Amino acid sequence: MNDIATTLKENTHKPVKITITLPTHAYFMSGIRDFTISLIKNTTEFSEQWAYRFQSVVDELCNNAIEHGSKPGEDIKITFIYNPDESIEIDVEDSGTGMNPKKAADIKLLVDQFVQQNIPMANIRGRGLAKIVHEWTDELEFIDKPEGGLKVRVVKYLTHIETEVLKKGFAYSEDKTHILI
Amino acid sequence: MATPASITIEDVESTTPGMVVKLAKFTGQLDESNVDEKAQQIYQLIEQNPANLNLIFDFEDLEYMNSKSIGYLTDWYGKVYENGGKIVIAKTRPNILDILQVVGLTQLIKTFSTIDEAKFAITH
Repeated sequence: MNDIATTLKENTHKPVKITITLPTHAYFMSGIRDFTISLIKNTTEFSEQWAYRFQSVVDELCNNAIEHGSKPGEDIKITFIYNPDESIEIDVEDSGTGMNPKKAADIKLLVDQFVQQNIPMANIRGRGLAKIVHEWTDELEFIDKPEGGLKVRVVKYLTHIETEVLKKGFAYSEDKTHILI
Repeated sequence: MATPASITIEDVESTTPGMVVKLAKFTGQLDESNVDEKAQQIYQLIEQNPANLNLIFDFEDLEYMNSKSIGYLTDWYGKVYENGGKIVIAKTRPNILDILQVVGLTQLIKTFSTIDEAKFAITH
């Protein structure tokens, strides 16, 4: 990973695109989470805090694709596109063959409803897309693929983070159990 | 095949009659591959102690939790609270605290830097 990171960093102004195809099994997600943290920390200007945040974003998007979009034995596809000094885009695609595939419009409606209202305490589900992914990205788009299946596209801009930090003074404190706000 | 994670539970001495206090230590990563199974340990604990159960969750060695594990946390809190108990969290790592904050859980469940602070809060 460090050799790859060095190579990528040498091409400082070229977009970096990495695509990973995974079998539909939750077991593989811990490896993808580790990869996401390493990628963000070693090859982008995003902070360590954002590396952990993108870990959660990727995990939630993939879990959604595995649960609803692709049946066992098929794949999901994850694409990272890093534009140096600008943004990171993460796309997660399923095949539309899962037990409960959703159209882009349906899932957008569901997420919008959860974003606008408080999720009931007894609800086990609903916080992944509506809270974690929605709050930690600047763009969240659901796209029906022509060949079938759903593509979820998220983008986070570095400039927006700088603005947020200036506005909120948001950063980790020295005390690892607390975040300064 | 599941991601490694564990929950170990021990008794905490309480001087208040009728108050049950347990310390639950979480380790590893709670994700889609293991959370449904691991959550049952806490549900069993709640079933075995139907009234005045007070839980301290030690998150020092909890490396990751996904949205479903947060969903379980809110459900446990609701069940414990309606039966006269409390849940507090101690020694949370920054990335876990960040997730708890973004979903609004820190407004519901108090977090503490040390186990002693959490014990004091729950027994006073």
